[in-house]
Amino acid sequence: MDLDAFKIAYEKWVAESLPDYRAGKMKEIIKKYPFIAPDDIPWTVYNGQPSNQTFALVTSGGLYLKDSQPPFDTESIHGDTSFREIPKTVRQQDIGIAHLHYDHSLTEQDMNIVFPIQRFVELENEGIIGKLTDVHYSFSYVNDAVSLVTDTVPKFISRIKAAGVDVLFLVPV
Amino acid sequence: MGNAADRMAHIKPPRAMLVKFARGSMFGEPGNVKRQRRIILDALEALKTMTEPGTIQELPYRWKRPDPE
Repeated sequence: MDLDAFKIAYEKWVAESLPDYRAGKMKEIIKKYPFIAPDDIPWTVYNGQPSNQTFALVTSGGLYLKDSQPPFDTESIHGDTSFREIPKTVRQQDIGIAHLHYDHSLTEQDMNIVFPIQRFVELENEGIIGKLTDVHYSFSYVNDAVSLVTDTVPKFISRIKAAGVDVLFLVPV
Repeated sequence: MGNAADRMAHIKPPRAMLVKFARGSMFGEPGNVKRQRRIILDALEALKTMTEPGTIQELPYRWKRPDPE
């Protein structure tokens, strides 16, 4: 992955797309976005048994704890590269959503359609999975892949390694 | 997981499940607990059955239709 080449293309894209972004023309700007193509597919052979492994959940639905965490930045064309830690005991009424680019109305009825934490808790209680970490992760809308890759991802990986995660389940929106 | 085959072909996730649901509803209609559970169990099974990098498995669930037995 050539991050330096992406950075040049991304900065050009930001300059050219800002008027359309401010006008809400998302289909126009996404057509021009300089998506990074990975050089190859990362792969880890799976030899484990879910019943004795540790699981964590990641969503990009823009979920946050509305009484204790700041919402994501929904104004910037760069998006927001930070993430929020969501406890596995979270309830529907604890959740706020800061992500302008999908319809929240269904997620406000049932967070499990983008963050199926309650199903994972059930599977842990039944012993189908070994352990569900106490904390899970929510991201939001991101265009700035440079900051994501250089700043956020290393921090995120250190958290999931410290939590002993064997399997990470990703749900985009 | 993903819901856009063209986007996923570009991103090349190591292993993924493809659903035919709209953005913001990756597990289908709100409150469909049985389906949410099935999709996760499908994923757990896929951990064992997907042996090639880049495997994407399309799931059979459809919006507001009964799930297959």
